[in-house]
Amino acid sequence: MKKTIQRRLLTGALVLMTALVTKPAHAVNYQALVDADVKKFQGYFRKEFPDVKFEDYGDGVYALDEDARKQWKEMEEFPPYELDVEAGKALFNKPFANGKSLASCFPNGGAVRGNYPYFDEKRKQVVTLEMAINECRVANGEKPYPGFKGDLAKVSAYMAYISRGQKIDVKVKSAAAYKAYMKGKAFFYGKRGQLNMSCSGCHMEYAGRHLRAEIMSPALGHTTHFPVFRSKWGEIGTLHKRYEGCNDNIGAKPFEEQSEEYRDLEFFQTIMSNGLKFNGPAARK
Amino acid sequence: MKKVLLLLSMVALMPSGAGVLAAPAAAAPGLIEQAEAARKEADALGFEWRDTSKLIKSAKEALDKGQKEESDKLASLALLQSKAAIAQAKSTAKNWKMMIPK
Repeated sequence: MKKTIQRRLLTGALVLMTALVTKPAHAVNYQALVDADVKKFQGYFRKEFPDVKFEDYGDGVYALDEDARKQWKEMEEFPPYELDVEAGKALFNKPFANGKSLASCFPNGGAVRGNYPYFDEKRKQVVTLEMAINECRVANGEKPYPGFKGDLAKVSAYMAYISRGQKIDVKVKSAAAYKAYMKGKAFFYGKRGQLNMSCSGCHMEYAGRHLRAEIMSPALGHTTHFPVFRSKWGEIGTLHKRYEGCNDNIGAKPFEEQSEEYRDLEFFQTIMSNGLKFNGPAARK
Repeated sequence: MKKVLLLLSMVALMPSGAGVLAAPAAAAPGLIEQAEAARKEADALGFEWRDTSKLIKSAKEALDKGQKEESDKLASLALLQSKAAIAQAKSTAKNWKMMIPK
């Protein structure tokens, strides 16, 4: 009798231990963790700027500064990126040496901005639109476009233009995707460079405040409107070009266009803007 | 006789003063080498500062021109920057979650 009880207790303990040890990976709901972050992040801006409508965050700093918004609206009547969109369209449809084109790689005529960035579960990395454009070129025997600006930004601008209105809804479905997300998050909040500054320092805590003559834009909505034609650049450039400029400004060595660091940062930032709509390309000062 | 032979062999085996001085001791790395090593460490952590490479390059150029003092000054600054960047990387890795605004 005593032995039977002992055996049953032992069996029960083993079953319990097995259940605990073999707890399936999918039991962690990464999307729920991310959604909680999004709620906090967007809530921060709602609290800071209670009069700003959620959808206006897609307009960057012009959501916060009424005077600048008026000037920007006027600029958008004859947008400086118009020629770049046209050039991007031509490049998108231009045949490669093998007869195919960028149009061969992307469905829906290239109106796929809303599908990027995403986490590629097979390759275990974040794929951005610009990365996909260059991978298409390489897969078809062409050289990749050089980074940050030029033809890469023009093609991206065209694809963003024909995708306007697509909703941002980036998902995090796996441990690997969550790891990339967390890397982007750590980059966003971490201080770096000679000035010991972070993305969040300028674009959360100082959003809407002056830094010399400029008003700092809110991080919410940052990724909706790229590529942008910046008056300061005198040309159109990618989101990663902007990252490069920000890092340079704070005295940090910038990373390469489409580096893992910048792709993870874009992944995190885009997720923080879930619910907004892609509205690029755009004009900025 | 045996004592003489022993003495002679000891003298023969004894290193000379000049030999000791000329022994190939490992040279201490110069400031530029130290700065470059620290810069690489900061870069590997993803926290290299913008101007560190330029400072090291300028230090090398100054040394080539025989401006040792200027070279040391630039290399010291590059070394200081790299050490600060490494400390920043470690601090950020540990504390970035505390930087999330409430």
